[in-house]
Amino acid sequence: MAQTTWTTEQGELLQPRSSRLKYVVGGVLIVAALAFLIINAMSGNTQLYKTVDEFYAEQSRLVGRDLRVSGYVLGDSVEFIQIDATTSRLEFDIVDDIRNPGQRLRIVAENEPMPDLLQHEAQALVEGHADANGVFYANSGGLFLKCPTRYEEAAPTG
Amino acid sequence: MIADLGFAVVLIAFLSAIYAAIVSVIGARRNDERWVASARNAAVATFPLLLLASGLLITLLLQGDFSVDYVYQVSSREMPTYLKVTALWGGQAGGLLFWNLLLAAFTATAMLRKWDDQRPLMPYAILVASLTQIFFIGLVAFVENPFSRIPGLIPADGRGLNPLLRHPGMIIHPPMLYLGFTGFTIPYVFAMAALISGKLDEGWIRTTRRWTLVAWLFLSLGLILGGRWAYDVLGWGGYWAWDPVENASFIPWLSGTAFLHSVIIQEKRNMFKGWNMFLVIATYLLVILGTFIVRSGVISSVHSFAQSEIGPLFFGFLGLMIIFSVYWVVHRWDELSTENRLESLLSREAAFLFNNFVFIGILVATLWGTLYPIISELFTNEKVTVGPPFYNKVNGPLFVLLLLLMGIAPLTMWYRSSAQRIGMAIRWPALAALVVVGALIAFGIDSWAALLGLWVVTFSLILTVIEFVKGVRARMKRGESPWAAFSNLMARNRRRYGGYWIHLGVLVMAFGIIGSYFFQQETQIRLRAGESLSLGTYTMTFNGVRQYPGLDDLLIKEANLSITDNGRDVGTLTPRTELYTRSGQPMTIPSLRSTIEEDFYVIMVNWETVLANEATFRVFLNPLINWVWAGGLIFVIGTLIAAWPSPARERVAASARRRIALGPALGGD
Repeated sequence: MAQTTWTTEQGELLQPRSSRLKYVVGGVLIVAALAFLIINAMSGNTQLYKTVDEFYAEQSRLVGRDLRVSGYVLGDSVEFIQIDATTSRLEFDIVDDIRNPGQRLRIVAENEPMPDLLQHEAQALVEGHADANGVFYANSGGLFLKCPTRYEEAAPTG
Repeated sequence: MIADLGFAVVLIAFLSAIYAAIVSVIGARRNDERWVASARNAAVATFPLLLLASGLLITLLLQGDFSVDYVYQVSSREMPTYLKVTALWGGQAGGLLFWNLLLAAFTATAMLRKWDDQRPLMPYAILVASLTQIFFIGLVAFVENPFSRIPGLIPADGRGLNPLLRHPGMIIHPPMLYLGFTGFTIPYVFAMAALISGKLDEGWIRTTRRWTLVAWLFLSLGLILGGRWAYDVLGWGGYWAWDPVENASFIPWLSGTAFLHSVIIQEKRNMFKGWNMFLVIATYLLVILGTFIVRSGVISSVHSFAQSEIGPLFFGFLGLMIIFSVYWVVHRWDELSTENRLESLLSREAAFLFNNFVFIGILVATLWGTLYPIISELFTNEKVTVGPPFYNKVNGPLFVLLLLLMGIAPLTMWYRSSAQRIGMAIRWPALAALVVVGALIAFGIDSWAALLGLWVVTFSLILTVIEFVKGVRARMKRGESPWAAFSNLMARNRRRYGGYWIHLGVLVMAFGIIGSYFFQQETQIRLRAGESLSLGTYTMTFNGVRQYPGLDDLLIKEANLSITDNGRDVGTLTPRTELYTRSGQPMTIPSLRSTIEEDFYVIMVNWETVLANEATFRVFLNPLINWVWAGGLIFVIGTLIAAWPSPARERVAASARRRIALGPALGGD
């Protein structure tokens, strides 16, 4: 891979034309490598994002798929059941609009701590999958409650 | 009365920024310094005005004037005084006012400090800074007014602060991020001023570099403190979740870091002018994009912000600034290109270039993941999100590359270096790191990814330490004592050795991140008094729960756990839940045994099911996690070393300024 370069009288380097090509090829390779990394990392790591109503609209198609659902927690529905020493079950319902609750989606999270923020009107994001009966099972570590980054409460949208 | 005054002051600041923008253009056109000075005074005046406005809002908070909507939203009578003061940045409207205060402080400082130094850039610097100020002050004045009143009856008490935010980390974390975000405006201001004025010599780069470092320091601090708060308060045993809001501050940090590296090539070799310009502009635009993501709620995040109509306004402003920046870059394109080219792929400049590729790679991947819900909805009509596994998988290898470069790059020379020399220098460290990895395998670690990561970290750590040793030895040969040699080395070459300290900090953090990511253990169990649980080398025995009232309306349930490590008694842990009985908000407070090797971290799982002699616990074993915080500390110290003004250089700069001041002061386009 002998590479020739020329120098002008002022000592500045001139690049042969093949060198420019080298940069283009190098650039393309780098972009391709990054694209490969991104595509590779995405396979198997994506979830469809659905609200409760969107979920029910396409329930049959979505059963068993990796999903991320979001909705507002109905405070009365929260249950924490200690089954035995090493198994617990946290259940609650989420809806799209707290003031005008339509369909409810039952969330079940096994062996998850009860989040401090799991309260009436809190917004939950849950990663997991639904079974044919419309119960949504959260992945381990897949239950998130919106963190009150601002002191004021987010107005529930609907 | 105070509220009306506050609003009036914000309006005056708004008009002052408009005046500064218009008059700076007139000054540049007429090439008349009096106009430019007047514009500068108007831009500087926004700072005392916004300081007054912030003071007035704090007064309202302290008085508990709940007729003001903002005061009602973010404070309550029972809140301690310091929390009433920090409630200034507790909500959207006040946060924006505070943001403006910091932006004005940066603007005023830059305008006054650089007035003599960068006179030809000034009219345009004032223009660009004022355009940014007009937008942000306009938001406070017309969209998110913190002084607006509640319609109807005045409430007796405010809503108060969510208890989860009553943590020192959470109180300091937003101002740090704000300082970082607003700080990046100044490099952009001078970059654009250089473009518009056509004065693209090294002047703007010199001015920009230190400002970037300062903004970068605050942004780094904000990121580290946010992680610490999550670890202490949220009870999931982690500190980073690749949530869109976290990414929104990480993304500009990446481009800022890339700039801090590539700017060195421009200084030494006068290369990559266009690229550096791109990085400064990109960082500013990514700050605006980040603020947009955070405030608009277009991307679902676990952070909730009050929804408001400022999303589209941000989007519009972002679009305008993109057009503005791109126009000037295209206009000056010829002047940004350089004759110097890379001579060898084995040179310092090539190493910096690779470093930039990797940073931009991480940036693109993270931005892609963050925006993917929007992109996918655009093309497939279905929102698709990617979670932490995506980011870990794509960024993991890129971080490893970065850490590897961190070790090798300092060995390269400018122009070209010999492969043989570098090979000699890395041979022994590579082997030593291999021995460490061998020992880890013998200890039973079998994750190849973790082993690779630990090899790279050890390798680069050894090389970085060798850089310090080499420098100290060279000075000691001249007869300096070891300590004098070390401190002189730091003092004489702050940027270089500050940079190496930062590298050390990152490597120590990487060690902690690898440990806590790959080897975290967790378990959950319900115990009766007298029963115990073992995890790792630890055993905890549950002794019962004590219930007692706390301050104000608090009800506290505190478990008592005896902990042994390898059978040796190491004391008790007391995880607890605090229930704010009035609001019904519980707060789970972990208790942990922290050592250099690991954290044994215990929380109670559900306050409702906690009985006097029975409770459910979740227990985490987080290996090496304290290295993350220790590395963060080293990192911050390194940045301070690098950013600290060096007395010798300041004197040179001051005399240079005097010389310049004697020449013709102002040049236009």
